[in-house]
Amino acid sequence: MTAQEVRLCGLLLREHFGEVVEKVGTHLLKCGAQNLRTIIHETGLSVDLVKKSLCVLVQHGASTFSSGRKGPGSPTEYHASCDRILRILRYPRYIYTAKTLYGDTGELIIEELLQRGHTTMSSTVKTVADRLTQNMAEGLTMDYSEVSSTFSKLVETHFLQRCPPLPRVGNKDSSAPSETPATPGTPAAPVNTAPPTPESFPECYKVPSMTLIGRGKRQLASEDGEEQRSAKRAKMDPQTHGDEGIYWQVNFERFHLHFRDQTIISAVANKLDQTSSEIVRTMLRMSEVTTSPMATCTKPLSANEIFRSLPPSYNILRPILDQYLTLLVDDPMEFVGKAGESGGGMFVVNLHRALANLARATLESVVQERFGSRSARIFRLLLRKRHLEQKQVEDFAMIPAKEAKDMLYTLLSQNLVQLQEIPKTPDYAPSRTFYLYTVNQLPTARMLLQSCYKTVANLVERRLFETKESKRLLEKSQRIEAILASLQVSGAEPEQLTEVEEMITAPEKQQLDTLRLHINKLDSAENQVDETIFLLESYINSTNASS
Amino acid sequence: MAEVKVKKETNLSDPVEVENRIKELCQQFPQGITDQVIQNDMPHLEPQQRAMAINKLLSLGQLDLLRNSAGLLYRLKDSQSTSKMKGSDNQEKLVYQIIEDAGNKGIWSRDIRFKSNLPLTEINKILKNLESKKLIKAVKSVAASKKKVYMLYNLQPDRSVTGGAWYSDQDFESEFVEVLNQQCFKFLQSKAEAARDSKQSPMVQRNSSFATSHEVWKYICELGISKVDLSMDDIETILNTLIYDGKVEMTVIAAKEGTVGSVDGQMKLYRGVNTIIQPTGLVKTPCGLCPVFDDCHEGGEISPSNCIYMSEWLDF
Repeated sequence: MTAQEVRLCGLLLREHFGEVVEKVGTHLLKCGAQNLRTIIHETGLSVDLVKKSLCVLVQHGASTFSSGRKGPGSPTEYHASCDRILRILRYPRYIYTAKTLYGDTGELIIEELLQRGHTTMSSTVKTVADRLTQNMAEGLTMDYSEVSSTFSKLVETHFLQRCPPLPRVGNKDSSAPSETPATPGTPAAPVNTAPPTPESFPECYKVPSMTLIGRGKRQLASEDGEEQRSAKRAKMDPQTHGDEGIYWQVNFERFHLHFRDQTIISAVANKLDQTSSEIVRTMLRMSEVTTSPMATCTKPLSANEIFRSLPPSYNILRPILDQYLTLLVDDPMEFVGKAGESGGGMFVVNLHRALANLARATLESVVQERFGSRSARIFRLLLRKRHLEQKQVEDFAMIPAKEAKDMLYTLLSQNLVQLQEIPKTPDYAPSRTFYLYTVNQLPTARMLLQSCYKTVANLVERRLFETKESKRLLEKSQRIEAILASLQVSGAEPEQLTEVEEMITAPEKQQLDTLRLHINKLDSAENQVDETIFLLESYINSTNASS
Repeated sequence: MAEVKVKKETNLSDPVEVENRIKELCQQFPQGITDQVIQNDMPHLEPQQRAMAINKLLSLGQLDLLRNSAGLLYRLKDSQSTSKMKGSDNQEKLVYQIIEDAGNKGIWSRDIRFKSNLPLTEINKILKNLESKKLIKAVKSVAASKKKVYMLYNLQPDRSVTGGAWYSDQDFESEFVEVLNQQCFKFLQSKAEAARDSKQSPMVQRNSSFATSHEVWKYICELGISKVDLSMDDIETILNTLIYDGKVEMTVIAAKEGTVGSVDGQMKLYRGVNTIIQPTGLVKTPCGLCPVFDDCHEGGEISPSNCIYMSEWLDF
């Protein structure tokens, strides 16, 4: 948990949950696992506020609780998870993916679940159906069963999973989050120190049978005020549908696997051609559920199976497919490897190697944009040849000595290139030592990841700053919009409307437009940097798994 | 009547006679004579007189002093070189000889000093003298620009000193390299595009997008942009820089001996490629390229709130 990560988590918590939750969350991140009393004491907040913040954090999975370190009798300790909070940055990408795969229904289901953290299937289905009905044409409503079927599809492809049932920690501990709907109790479950992963439960992906018949309700205008008030709290629905106590959450790992597959496919398309990328897409789709997330490569697939599973629109003949597969195997990037000869040839997708290549391309692109294409040449040269002396670098890269020296020193000062000393004599005399330049991919990737976190934090802060600067203007425009809306509802004349609209002067309108443009730009920049973060994180995690 | 043997004796006290005799001996033995030979010929000659005669001949530049495993050798110097050195003294001759021995790689002044054991000032004077007489020349080495190596006037300096095809007058020709770089890349790229457009089976497409280093070499020679003759090795170094640019990839295949362009039974094939990802998200933000990234923090003089790079980027 580096300082940059903590800063970014704090900003994200503040934006999504408010300052109180931010305070509690950052305190937990900085100080590790702590029990309730210590948190209250050190943050200086009231008991109520701390309890509610912890509830929010646990509801969203950002915090977990477990029994204290001193044994079963000690108070529970709360532990905040930095990774989970950083996922908040990626919410737009998850929602967009759901939209492309499952349409508007899928998009709204994922959005609901991301906003609420953990919910039951029935409540999600109802809310989504209502929202969809809102946007549909007059007289049409959304049937619950349609939404349920999309929900089931999401569960089948493992994008959603059940929350693991939490052990009841003890009746007297009222601060345990038993108020939130996230604790169905298995009474007196054995206490274990590590919270169980959702996948360790056999029923993780089982859709419960529930009775839910009906259609979405369209909101009427008069219910507007009421709706806004209760939108923040989960509706206390008196009806029961047979799935009480089964709460669902979004399975982030599955989305990450999907993103990883997408990146590999687009890399193959860039390097080779469209058909090869389709073949790789087919191979990855076939191994979606059979490959574990940390696997080095997918399970071997025979060429016959691949041929049968290709999308029919592609119409590739069998010998042509074999040629494409041979080309993929021969490619120096080694996306696809051959694992045997049975069944017309067994092929695997080398996941870890693909991630390493993608991370390497990311590093090279950063050096190229920051320092120029000649420095990028030196960087790639050092990546290939590992250790080189200065004279050799100049010779291989064909760059004049003075400029090469300058570039190497710049890269060295930015810590992208390291110096390795090899002494000829036991006293490290400079005239009698070899100095070799080298690039280590993994530490450089980590360093760049921290820069990414800092960049995103900078972008968020800039966005908050811009909003704060124009706060007065924004409030004025909001007031005017509210007046306009109420006038329209009560049936005012056009002159009154134009009069109200003119209360915003033209330069102010322009200012508002620029502000909107800035905020959008900053938002999209955050998403772009998040893509880099995702690549680098996947690469670093893959090296962790294999080591 | 007693015969008085009149021996025609060389008047041994006459040094000129001694010298002439030694010279005749040298001519008899063109590969050189040792002290022993002179002694055998003139047994009555005292060592002192012999030494004096030899020294006189050496200083006149008519005799060459050499050393072999047996001892000292004296050899008659041919007249042409003798005339050249007329007017020079011993030390100059010594230095000249050392430089001659260095061949076309040249020799550094410090090495001359080691070999001749003469003091530095003397060496410098002698070198200047010889240069003015146009007997030697100084060539700047490309490895260390301050270092000058000396070699005989009419010799061609070796490739390692001048740096070969990429250096002209000790300057690295970066524009020349750049031009060659771009030309090779264009050639490979157009070949790859032609292969892609041909719409044949993928194997054939890929194979036709490859070019051997020999083909590239022929293309560059025909283009005629180079004043200097370039060898295939030179072209391969250029192609390697393209690999380090990430624009080209290389494979090695086994080729029959005797096919054009094969070296030791292998051929190198080059092919233009695209990068596998677009420029990454981090560099699309000003922070990714910011030179003062490490100094930036909230509340400081450089912070996200007052960052001028961000303001410019947002207004773009």
